[in-house]
Amino acid sequence: MDKLWPGRKVLAISKKESKGLLSEKTFLLTVFIQLFIATFSVFLIFGLTTFYDPGALQDFEMQSPQVGVFGNEESEFYDILVNSDIEVTYYEDFSEAYIDFYTREIDAIIEIPYEQADGEDLIDINVYMSRSELSATLVSINLKEPLEQFEEVVREVRTQRLPGYAPLDLDIESPKDGTTIINLEFIYVALLPLLLLTPAFISGGLVIDFITEEFEKKTVGLLLVSPVSLLDIISGKVLVAVFIVPIQSLAWMILLVLNGIEINNFLSILVLVSLIATILVTIGGSISLLVKERGIAQMFYSFILILMVMISYLYVNSPLNMITRLALDSIPLIESIYWLLLYTLIAIVLLLLLINSSRKGDIADIY
Amino acid sequence: MPAWSIISKWELKRSLTKFDRKTVSLLLLALVLIFVVTYAASMAGFGLNQKIYSVASSQPELNDIISNDPRFNVEYANEPWKLLGQDTKYDIIIINDRAYLSGTEKSAAAGKALENALINYRETILSSYKSIPDSHPVWVIVHDIDRPESFELLGDVRSMDTDTRQDTEAQQDTEAQQDTENDIEAGKDSDVSPEDVSEKDEHFVHPSERFEMDQQATITLFQTQTISTPSHFSPPIPFMAILYSFLFIFPIYIIAQLYSSSMMEERTNRKCQLLLAAPLRSIDIVLGKTAPYIITLMLLVIIISTFIQQPSTIREVTTVFSMALIMLPVILLFMALSFIAAIFSRSFKELTFSMVFLSVIVSGYLFFPAMFANIHAVSAISPMTLIVNLVEGNQIDVNTYLFSTVPFYLVSLSLYGLGTSIFNEENLFSQKNLISKSLDSIEKFLEFPGGSVFTLSLVSIPFIYMLQLMFIIILFNLPLPYSILIMIFLSAFVEELAKSIGILTIIKKKLEHINLKKATLLSILAGTGFFVGEKLISVITLTPIESSLFGFVMSMGPLLLLPLMLHVSATAIVGIGLYYLGHRYYLVLLLAATFVHSFYNIYLLRGILVG
Repeated sequence: MDKLWPGRKVLAISKKESKGLLSEKTFLLTVFIQLFIATFSVFLIFGLTTFYDPGALQDFEMQSPQVGVFGNEESEFYDILVNSDIEVTYYEDFSEAYIDFYTREIDAIIEIPYEQADGEDLIDINVYMSRSELSATLVSINLKEPLEQFEEVVREVRTQRLPGYAPLDLDIESPKDGTTIINLEFIYVALLPLLLLTPAFISGGLVIDFITEEFEKKTVGLLLVSPVSLLDIISGKVLVAVFIVPIQSLAWMILLVLNGIEINNFLSILVLVSLIATILVTIGGSISLLVKERGIAQMFYSFILILMVMISYLYVNSPLNMITRLALDSIPLIESIYWLLLYTLIAIVLLLLLINSSRKGDIADIY
Repeated sequence: MPAWSIISKWELKRSLTKFDRKTVSLLLLALVLIFVVTYAASMAGFGLNQKIYSVASSQPELNDIISNDPRFNVEYANEPWKLLGQDTKYDIIIINDRAYLSGTEKSAAAGKALENALINYRETILSSYKSIPDSHPVWVIVHDIDRPESFELLGDVRSMDTDTRQDTEAQQDTEAQQDTENDIEAGKDSDVSPEDVSEKDEHFVHPSERFEMDQQATITLFQTQTISTPSHFSPPIPFMAILYSFLFIFPIYIIAQLYSSSMMEERTNRKCQLLLAAPLRSIDIVLGKTAPYIITLMLLVIIISTFIQQPSTIREVTTVFSMALIMLPVILLFMALSFIAAIFSRSFKELTFSMVFLSVIVSGYLFFPAMFANIHAVSAISPMTLIVNLVEGNQIDVNTYLFSTVPFYLVSLSLYGLGTSIFNEENLFSQKNLISKSLDSIEKFLEFPGGSVFTLSLVSIPFIYMLQLMFIIILFNLPLPYSILIMIFLSAFVEELAKSIGILTIIKKKLEHINLKKATLLSILAGTGFFVGEKLISVITLTPIESSLFGFVMSMGPLLLLPLMLHVSATAIVGIGLYYLGHRYYLVLLLAATFVHSFYNIYLLRGILVG
C-alpha cells in the first residue's frame, strides 16, 4: 500500500506544475521563439543560396553585372569572360574605363594580363571595384567561375612542369537536377538539430525556475511538512520538464515533413531528444539543488549548455550530429542503438545522482 | 551622496554575497573548460557534419583522400559493381575512375561534396610544390576604389524640391546599393564636375602604384583579403568579424539574466517593500539597482574590445572606445527589457520565457543585418554592423552612429520611464496580467504633468520606429511586392495601436468623462502627436536609408497635409468607435483603422507596387 504512494505524490506535483505552465500564456512565447528561428533560417537559406548559387537570383530579375576590361584582348581569359554571365565591354586603357565606372555605366574594371599560359611568371588579374557596394558582391560571385576556369586552363599547361604531379582522375556522375548542396547540408546539419533540441535546452532552464521558485518563496518548507519528500517534489518537476520536450519536437518534425523535408528514423530521433532532455533537465535540477538561487543557477546552466554544445563539435555521434545522421539515414542501425544506449546510461547515472542528492536534502539544508 | 548610489552599493554587496567560494570556483572551472573545448572545436573546424555521406569504393588510395573530409564515411568494397543498381545505403559508388550517384537528393549533395573534397585535396598537393608560378599560376588582386554613390549624383535637390521625388523613385533600385559610410564624402563632393573626375582619375590611374600601396599596407587578421587565388576568391561577407562581435553579446546575456533575477527577487517575498517604505523615490531605487550591472557590462565591453583590437596606436585606442560607445545603447536596451520583463512577469518561468523570447528577437535585429554589413545601406540599422565595420578597420561617422543607436537609446529610456512609473507596491506585488499592467503604466503617464494622448503618441514613436525596422529585417528577403505589402499592413497596425492605446486607457479606466466631442478631440490630439513625432524622427535618422524603398515606406515621402489627415481620421475610427461601442470592440476597431491606413499607403505606393 505504502509503495503506491510515492508515485502518486510525484504525479500530484507534476500536475501542479503543468497547470502553472498552461495557465501562463508565456509558454506560447517559447513556441513563438521556435517559429521565429524557423522563419529566420528560411531567410538564411535564401541568403546563402544567393551567395553561393547566383543562378538562383535570376528569378528575381537581377541584371548580370557590367564589367569593363582593358589589356590583352587575345588572352583566353578574355574569351572566358565574354562567354560567361558577365557583360563585358572592352576599353583601350584604365582611365577610359574609369570614366564609365565613375558614371556607373560599369561596376568593375578588370585588367586582362599579358602573361601567357605557357609563360614562366605569375599571372596577376587586377580587379577594381567599390567594395562597399552591392554590385561588388554580384561581380565577385559571377567572377569566381570564369577565374577558376582560367586557372584550370593555365594549370593544364603548367602543372606538367611539376615533377611527379599526376592529376587525380575521377569522373563524378552529374546529378539529375540542380540540387544545391548548401540547402541540404544547411537543413540537416544546422537547422534540424537546432530546432529539435531547442525544447530540451529550454526545459533545462525551466526546471531551474520550478525548483528555485520553491526555495525563494520558501514554499518548499510548506510542501515538506505535508507528506511529500524533497525527492517527490524534485521528481514531479523533472517529470513535467522532460515530458514536454518530445511533444514539441514531434510537432516540429511533423511540420518539417509537411514542408517536404524528409526525416528518417522518426522514433530513434524522438528517443534521442527525450534522452538529451532528461540529461539536461537532471543537470538543471542538480544545479538548482546545489545553488538554490535562480540567477546564479541559470548562469551556471548556460555555461554548462555552451560547454556541451562545444563538446558536440568534437566527436562523431554527438547529439547534434546524431540527429543529422539519423534524419539522413546515414547511420547504421547497430551503431545508432549502441549510441542510444550510451546516452541512456548517462541519463540514468545523472538521474541517480539527482535522486541521491535530493534524498539527502532536508529542511535544515534548505534554510 | 545621492540616494541611488547607496542603493547601488547595497545591490553590489548583496549580489556578491550570492557568489560564495564554491560557486565561484565552479563557475570559473566551467569557463575554463568552455575556453579549452572551444579552442579544440575551432581546431577541429566547427563541423557537425561528420559522416553524413557514405561511399563505397574499390580504390584504397582514393579512400584515404576522401576520408580526409569528415563528411564522408568511406568503406572499401571488393566488388563495387555488384552494388550498382541495387537499393543500397551508399550515396556514392566508385568503380575505377568513375563515381556513380544513386539518384537521391542526398546523393547529389554527396557528389557535389566529393567534387569539393577532391579540389581541396588538389590544392593541398599543389601547395606542397615550391614553384608557385606552376602550381598556383593565377592570382586575383582586388583594389577597392571609390566612386560617388548614385544618390550623390542626384545631389541635394531632393530636400529642396518635392517634385524630384519622381526621379528619385526611378533611381530606387540603384540607390538601394548606397552605403552610409560615405556620407561625409557625400557632403564634400555632391556637385560632381568633370574636373573632379579627372582628378580622382589621375589618383587612381596607375594600377602599379596602387599595387605597391596594397603591398605596403600591413595585413592584419581582419583586413579583408586583397590578393587570393581564384578558389579563395569570395564575396565580402564578414564572417570573422561577426564571430568577434558575438563575443560582446555573450556577457550581456549572462549579466541581463542576473539582473532580471535580482529584480524579480525584490518582488517575490516582497523584499522590496522595505525599500519602497524608505524615503526614496522609485527612480532612485531603479537607478541604484541598475547602475552596478551597466557599469560592470561597460567594463567587460572595454576589456573585450581591447582584446579584439590589441591597440598599439592612439587611433586604435579610439576604436576601442568607439566600440564601447556603440555597445552602450545595446546594453541599455537589454537591461531595459530585462527590467520590464522582471516587473511584468508573474513567476520565474514567465521571466525565463520572456527573456529568451526578447533576447532571440533582439539578437536577430542585431546580427542579421550585420551579415550584410558590407553590402546594404539598411544594414546600418544594427549597431553590430558598426562593430563589424570597426573590426574590419573602417571608420564610422556620427550620422551613422545616430541612425543606428538613437532608437536604442530612446526605447530603453522610455521603457525605464514606464517601468519606473509602476514601480510601486500595487503593481510589484500583485498578480495582474500584462495588459492591465501596461494600461496602468499608461494611466500613470497620462496623469503625469504634461502627459496627454498627444505626448503619449509622441513618446511611442521610437518603439514604432524600432518595430518597423524589425519588420524590415524580417521581411528583408521576401520577394518584393509581398514584402512591401506585409510591411505596409504591419506598420499600419502598430501605428494605429500606438495612437489609440491612450484613448482606450481613458475610456476603459474612466479617467475622463467622454462625449462625442471629447472623443473626436482626443483622436485629433493623438493623431497629430504621432504625426509630429514621425516627422521629427525621420528628419533625424532616416536620411541614410531614405532613398531605399523600405525607407520610403517608413517616411512616406515629403507629403505633409495628407498624412496628418490620415493619422487623425484613422485614430478617429477607433476613438469615436470606442465611444459608441465600448472598449470590448477595441480590436475590431483597431483592425478597421489598420485597413484604412494600409489602403492609403498602398494607394500612395501604387506606382512602385505595380510597375
